[in-house]
Amino acid sequence: MKRLTLALLSALSLAVGGAAVAQDKYPSKPVKIVVPYAPGGATDITSRLFGEQLKNILGQQFVVENKAGAFGILGIEEMARARPDGYTLFVGNVSTNAITPILFQKKFSINFERDVVSVTRLAIYPSFLITTTSGMDVKTVKDLVDHAKKNPGKVRYSSAGVGSFPHYDMEVFTRRAGVDMNHIPNKTGAAGMINDLVVGDAQVAVLNSASSAAMIRAGKLRPIAVIAEQRLKEYPDVPTLAEAGYPGVGTLHWQSMFAPANTPKPVLDTIFNAIQQAAKVPALQEAFAKQLVSVRPSDTLAEAVTWHKNELATWRKITSEVKIDLTE
Amino acid sequence: MGDFVGNIMLGFGVALTPINLGFAFVGCLVGTLVGVLPGIGPVATVAMLLPLTFYLEPLSGLIMLAGIFYGAQYGGSTTAILVNMPGETSSVVTCIDGHQMARNGRAGAALTVAALGSFFAGTVATLLIALFSPPLARIGQSFGAPEYFSLMVLGLIAAVVLAHGSITKAVAMVLLGLLLGLVGTDGQTGGARFTFGAIILSDGIGFVPLAIGVFGLGEVIANLISPQHRRDLLTSKVSNMWLTRDEFRQSWPAVLRGTAIGSVLGVLPGGGATLSAFAGYVLEKKVARDPSRFGKGAIEGVAGPESANNAGAQTSFIPMLTLGIPGNAVMALMIGALTIHGIQPGPQVMTERPTLFWGMVASMWIGNLMLVVINLPLIGMWVQLLKVPYRMLYLAILLFCAIGVYTLNNNAFEVILTAVFGVLGYVLIRLECEPAPMLLGFILGPLMEENLRRAMRISSGDPMIFVERPISLGLLIAAGLLLLVVALPAIRGKREEVFKEG
Repeated sequence: MKRLTLALLSALSLAVGGAAVAQDKYPSKPVKIVVPYAPGGATDITSRLFGEQLKNILGQQFVVENKAGAFGILGIEEMARARPDGYTLFVGNVSTNAITPILFQKKFSINFERDVVSVTRLAIYPSFLITTTSGMDVKTVKDLVDHAKKNPGKVRYSSAGVGSFPHYDMEVFTRRAGVDMNHIPNKTGAAGMINDLVVGDAQVAVLNSASSAAMIRAGKLRPIAVIAEQRLKEYPDVPTLAEAGYPGVGTLHWQSMFAPANTPKPVLDTIFNAIQQAAKVPALQEAFAKQLVSVRPSDTLAEAVTWHKNELATWRKITSEVKIDLTE
Repeated sequence: MGDFVGNIMLGFGVALTPINLGFAFVGCLVGTLVGVLPGIGPVATVAMLLPLTFYLEPLSGLIMLAGIFYGAQYGGSTTAILVNMPGETSSVVTCIDGHQMARNGRAGAALTVAALGSFFAGTVATLLIALFSPPLARIGQSFGAPEYFSLMVLGLIAAVVLAHGSITKAVAMVLLGLLLGLVGTDGQTGGARFTFGAIILSDGIGFVPLAIGVFGLGEVIANLISPQHRRDLLTSKVSNMWLTRDEFRQSWPAVLRGTAIGSVLGVLPGGGATLSAFAGYVLEKKVARDPSRFGKGAIEGVAGPESANNAGAQTSFIPMLTLGIPGNAVMALMIGALTIHGIQPGPQVMTERPTLFWGMVASMWIGNLMLVVINLPLIGMWVQLLKVPYRMLYLAILLFCAIGVYTLNNNAFEVILTAVFGVLGYVLIRLECEPAPMLLGFILGPLMEENLRRAMRISSGDPMIFVERPISLGLLIAAGLLLLVVALPAIRGKREEVFKEG
């Protein structure tokens, strides 16, 4: 009902105000945010939380459209093909918008780097290098490496699937540490990985910090390092992976907003500024802080673009060093 | 015991506040409505309401979402019975006998037994959760890959029993389901299988397009092609809504058995709740004195699985709250809603958030009661729907199916896929092949493969892992016994007792 009223009101304002107003002022109708995941996951929730604030700031509905599938390609292509007028935006993450464009470049029917522009980073998620507490007594990263050296091929790590960033992180880590571990992928994601660790199907994984919090309190899982720029204040005793002797290992899991490449600069400015404003709203910061997430919008539009180019370059390097065979 | 009473009191204390009762009512009502429309599922509804829950107390939000979830399950059974259209995995088996009952003019009785059976199962499951949550949570945590594999073996053998035609056709249908389930990205290597290079198939075939196509559209095509009398059966004799004495006598033991099996299976993280309806049906057919009535409108075939799926839906809140593993897409959304409030599912959720946990348990029961109150008076109205001339009804069915399938993933390709499966469904009807075993193969096959390969990686290729673990061994023994039961009548040449028109 509310939606109908809104639609009627906006139709009315268009009729009264005339088309000129609609063209001058962005946004003058509801904006669609495409999310490449089913509703309920972290990226979906981030876009809904920001969408709520954008509605308050810009006075239009920001409607999330979930277009899951094909490693994010379906959603990215829908956004990239939309009219570049600022009424179709996209929120993706390091998997869909850095790994997918490189790993599955051939599967795109658009040119990702030409057709998609980065608008601003939104948030960064810390991860833990985490181990099970049943059947394996490992308290530090060094313990884990020693244990794996004594039991080559016997330690199993879980990941969110072949080619996911927790998979790459563990591959890079085991190479750097010079150990051999067995990969048990679980395509059901974080909840499945936690279960794998608890029931003993796997013993170690790179896992979102917030998701694992309850199992850590229950004593079932033990974080041995955090993948973040600094230690988390909730876990002052857990060193960063860099402090534990592995600098440069592990992915900073970001979420970021994108738009079709030809979206006009003034429109992008409006969105960018609104996000900056939204990021300062206490309610939004609190909602993210509860999930241990830091809200980290880019400094400028230009910085958002160079930052994303660097991310792509980083992943190009990682994927060429760690060859993961994706059988076609 | 004192604990139990205290906990339940605490739960009802928070669940019975006017505001939480209001949310439960709104949830149940909305859920019933979206559930009744074929295809328009609870997922889209819950997703739209998700931002609203940011502003609610976590418990109120959860109560409303849970209400939508149960409501949709009830509503889904209604469509399954009336128009043979399963909107959810769990209502697939309800189609088999429920729709036949509607054809026999017993739609009212089928809907009544579904509502009452579900209410009873919901009540028992709620009590079980209240009494045994901690040990039940531990069962879930002892299921690793080998245990799941053995469970799937058991499930697939049971799938054959689902059919009431020839055993060869049933096996063929299970295999067809397995093959369809293989489409998509292989979880162990990341390679694409049977996608014909189409990126759109890289996540495999969705359950909803397959189920709605094969069951619903196939039925629509068959109805339109076949002579008039097939359709008139539905409309001519819509009799008494209430159960006859015989029907009551046949259904109450089925409700008890369904409740028991559903409560146990629901606890298993992941596939548990889905399995329970199928398992409930198989069990009924096995214990029935005259299995030949199944597939022709046996009331136990509605009462058993409906109770089982509701009990399973209820107990699957245990893995959701304690492990964070959702039983289905709606539960995944509920976990999302909790995360916003900084609540992470975990084994200590019961002790850390007692009002949330016990309030939720109490509201489950309240929600179930509300559903009966909302639905019983509506049954008369739903049955009237059958009086709508079929030439108009089928257009509405097709329209709602198309909308429902599209809104699921905002994906037009799935609508096309549904149409293709509709043709397949019609072909299967003509060949007298049962689609239910195919769907079970489709659901269980990929799970079985995934867990087999995971188990083999865990054991470094030693198959002994399946018999060294006690739970896995037990399940395999059960599977062996079931196979024997299936095979014995065939050996004795009395196959018809189990399968022939069974």
